[in-house]
Amino acid sequence: MAGRYVGERVLRLEDARLLTGRALFVDDLQLPGLLHVAFLRSDEAHARITRIDATAARSRPGVLAAYTATDLGDYWRPGPLLVPPPPIAGLVFHTATQVPLARDKVRHVGEPLAMVVAESRYLAEDALEDIVVELDPLPAVTDLEAALLEPASLVHEQFGSNLAAHVQQRKGDYAAARAAAHRVIARRFHYDRGAAAAIENRGVVAQWDARVEELTVWDTTQAPIPIRNGLAALLGLRESQVRVIAPFIGGGFGPKIMMYYPEEVLVPWAAMRLGRPVKWIEDRRENFYATTQERAQIHDAELAVSIDGKILGVRDKFLHDTGAYDPYGLTVPINTQCTLLGPYVVPHYDSEFTAVFTNKPIVTPVRGAGRQHGVFVMERLLDFAARELGIDRVEIRRRNYIQPDAFPYDHEILFQDFRPLVYDSGNYPAALEKAVELIGYDGFVKQEQPRLRREGRHVGLGIVSYIEGTGIGPYEGARVTVEPSGSVRLATGVGTQGQGHFTTFAQIVAEVLGVEVGCVQVSTGDTREFTWGTGTFASRGAVVAGSACHAAALKVREKILGLAAPLLGVPPAELVLEAGSVHVRDAPEQGMRLGELARKANPLRGAVTPGTEPGLEATAYFGPDRGNAASGVHAMLVEVDAETAAVRIKRYVVVHDCGTIINPMVVEAQVQGGVAHGIGNAFFEQLSFDENGQLMNASFMDYLLPTALDVPSVEMAHIETPSPLNPLGTKGVGEAGAIPTGAAFAQAIEDALAGSGVEITEIPLSPNRLFELLEAARGAP
Amino acid sequence: MNGQHTVGVTVNGTSYQRSVEPRLLLSDFLRHELGLTGTHVGCEHGVCGACTVLLDGAAVRSCLVFAVQTDGRAVTTVEGLGGEAQLHPLQQAFHEAHALQCGFCTPGFLLSLLPFLREHPDPSEHEIREALSGNLCRCTGYANIVTAVQRFVAQSAPQAGARVSGAAR
Amino acid sequence: MIVEGTYPLPGTPDVIWNLLMDPEVLVKAMPGTKELVRTAPDRYEGVMRIGIGPITAAEFELVILLTDMKEPHSYAMQIDGKGRAGFTRGTASVELSPDGAGSMMHYSADLQVGGKIAAVGQRLLDSVSKLMTRQGLEALNRELQSRLGGAAV
Repeated sequence: MAGRYVGERVLRLEDARLLTGRALFVDDLQLPGLLHVAFLRSDEAHARITRIDATAARSRPGVLAAYTATDLGDYWRPGPLLVPPPPIAGLVFHTATQVPLARDKVRHVGEPLAMVVAESRYLAEDALEDIVVELDPLPAVTDLEAALLEPASLVHEQFGSNLAAHVQQRKGDYAAARAAAHRVIARRFHYDRGAAAAIENRGVVAQWDARVEELTVWDTTQAPIPIRNGLAALLGLRESQVRVIAPFIGGGFGPKIMMYYPEEVLVPWAAMRLGRPVKWIEDRRENFYATTQERAQIHDAELAVSIDGKILGVRDKFLHDTGAYDPYGLTVPINTQCTLLGPYVVPHYDSEFTAVFTNKPIVTPVRGAGRQHGVFVMERLLDFAARELGIDRVEIRRRNYIQPDAFPYDHEILFQDFRPLVYDSGNYPAALEKAVELIGYDGFVKQEQPRLRREGRHVGLGIVSYIEGTGIGPYEGARVTVEPSGSVRLATGVGTQGQGHFTTFAQIVAEVLGVEVGCVQVSTGDTREFTWGTGTFASRGAVVAGSACHAAALKVREKILGLAAPLLGVPPAELVLEAGSVHVRDAPEQGMRLGELARKANPLRGAVTPGTEPGLEATAYFGPDRGNAASGVHAMLVEVDAETAAVRIKRYVVVHDCGTIINPMVVEAQVQGGVAHGIGNAFFEQLSFDENGQLMNASFMDYLLPTALDVPSVEMAHIETPSPLNPLGTKGVGEAGAIPTGAAFAQAIEDALAGSGVEITEIPLSPNRLFELLEAARGAP
Repeated sequence: MNGQHTVGVTVNGTSYQRSVEPRLLLSDFLRHELGLTGTHVGCEHGVCGACTVLLDGAAVRSCLVFAVQTDGRAVTTVEGLGGEAQLHPLQQAFHEAHALQCGFCTPGFLLSLLPFLREHPDPSEHEIREALSGNLCRCTGYANIVTAVQRFVAQSAPQAGARVSGAAR
Repeated sequence: MIVEGTYPLPGTPDVIWNLLMDPEVLVKAMPGTKELVRTAPDRYEGVMRIGIGPITAAEFELVILLTDMKEPHSYAMQIDGKGRAGFTRGTASVELSPDGAGSMMHYSADLQVGGKIAAVGQRLLDSVSKLMTRQGLEALNRELQSRLGGAAV
């Protein structure tokens, strides 16, 4: 759908407000009589609560209330299971969801024990010290294997074990494939926890207006509509009595799609009880425990290959750390299970995982959402196979790709949207060739690297391939309205956390209606503006909400043509929409401004033809049959200092396919940001928990985010294989940059250190860890 | 109750007098006492740089400064740089280079850059990245921020010093 | 967190043992101890105040249980400290052996640390605990010297 706006690098309409500091973020809200909240959180990872007494806190001046679990009465209940497990045969799933305030037991450090409401945050925090808590510590469950085999304690006693889920998906007959294989490559892989670390922490502000009986909630959520629906149900209100607004949000990345966090359900409740608006803003240390995170897994995987490197089958058995509760179901490990197959033909597959409860913060999707683990396992196994078989690592991938004429390609297992994993379109060989060309693969391997090695320098190249399932349902909606002023109002239910929806959605609508993109005013994330939808997650905004915007704009276009035709005395087919007017083709003077037409469409008096709808407005929904498959290849050059194990990225190349591109400027920035996130996850970031479940680096001093010195400018190229699953032909791109980075790093560093015996089967690395691995490979004591 | 201190501070050219607790952070003072919410708080321990403002022209982390320490001094926040109708040239460069996504860290970057650019009107890419390394961004991956600075430098050239110092004081 | 080592002290094990059982001496020997009371023959309770990096003056309520008393050679301790900035708990042991005219103290502690102190003070725990141990032993040494009528404090 090329044209005036779609495909163009339109500068963002939302920038001026953000640049001048005038954009509203949740903590910017100032309401008369505003009260402030602080939470008392558990210092223990696993303990029985033997005593909790907030009496002293209540009598501190400036404190209006201090609540413990008992004070919540009937309001206390575990949150809902947000994502039920997919209908996979033989699946075992134990539901255990988070509670608003801990009662009887705490199950992770940072779990909330009490809530104080006071005239200022400073006073509320002072009052936390008055609360008496006695916790009787229990052994903490932290090691994934020990948690299942010889647990020192149970996170949830009612299940009789720490097993949260068990899922097996199979296709073909792996045992037969293995028996017929020339080689079987087997390894154990570790991927460790990391935080999303959006620069804006979470926050909730709630105001109950008793005169009109309406609750307004401002929330840093990626899912305002489900939050509204859930809060209404919890508080005994009608959905129409609750308005949830996600204003400007300082980064989402996944954890802000977790819903019914304790703070989210308690702040509105307190606002209604106290009759004054209430605000809670998370601080950074809280964010490390109280906001969800990802992604510890241990994989025992093997690849069965033929003598010429063709994949005969894969078997993967893995443990997945779900944390203390599992409200988000199995989205993350199912993504791992599915994404492992990648762009390859895998005739036989046996994937089995066990999700394990631990005394650590809850795990829910964080940019990549489990896909990076699958990519890491498969790409590493292919690398090891290539080495053992003496096949070039690019060649082995080429030999196993699903070919461009094989679509739609059915992998025969179930994806996170409960639909079969079927790839809609793609051209993996073309992306690989482009990446090989951009990074200068042949020249590097044949000439440059040998030359650098002779100079004693350790420079390596990593090149990896991946699929990202995006654009899943169920649906989103949009409403387009042409106003009498001529400006166009677009409202959709998804929220925005920096992806540029105010511009990209405007581009879609502006092109269909023939108006200036700046005339389209977009509203996202306000349940008063649009009341149906599920949220921004899983790289689906542009695909699903964008398609809904497109569909709504098309309906308005039909109305415009239908109304203007009789007024202008010509059939609709002879009319065009251009520059904010509808006119006869090649006769612009025979036309009307859209604003004027909108006025005519809304008469105050007279009669209309029965069945006519007033105005130039339409609502439309889009729900894809299933998710689509974006894909890409990442290639990087790194130099490793053999003495200090310091790593420097010299070049980073991404060839990416997200189907039709709405705004290349936005897409490239999403990829660049994703790569930065991936570099952080692969090298700098690790949540370090000790064996007692204590987080030892809950600050940016010790949890290292990459800076401008650590992230190169990514060189990008695009392949476009449009998706047949939506009218725009577009695919998602939000997580792409972050998914294969670990695999690329590992291959590149091994290549740089070729001959050292170092094998990288864990993420994250770090100079320290790499140094240890180097020393171990050298046989140092 | 903690004792109150009177603070007389000029922010973006306007004088304010307030009575505050000694422990009140400058970031909270600007945001909640004065209603200047353009300065954002990301970590409260001085690492992310989102809260950067100018104190007598020098970049400081407002989460590490107490409001009482600004008595008799001048503070510049992002609201003092430009308005939506007339962006500061550095803000304009950020817009044209798509150097912001969620925008939460952006004011901190802008304020950190002003003194740097005053001192280094013609920085190399490495110098720019070094100057940016004290501010964390989770959305952009920094590439476009570097481009924005280069764009600003190229467009300012001879007037770089005068224009930047005019806004900073 | 493991803290262990040896330290020579003037006086025979008998003398040192008695000093170690005296709460007044312990208050001096444990830096930051505001008060320490022996509430039972094998139990001390008190309040300690320490600073670790970004956390200044964190107060802890301390309970120490003495076990395996083998006067005057050795004893073990169960330590439980709780406060707003976090907690610490674990076990420790002290052994006194004759060393020439004086004694050699062998000490060893295995402590779990949790809460805010563990979350933001991790890099300093080792050095702070070593510092506190050294300060404590030096204070104990001075106390011993003065009680033995030796050098002034």
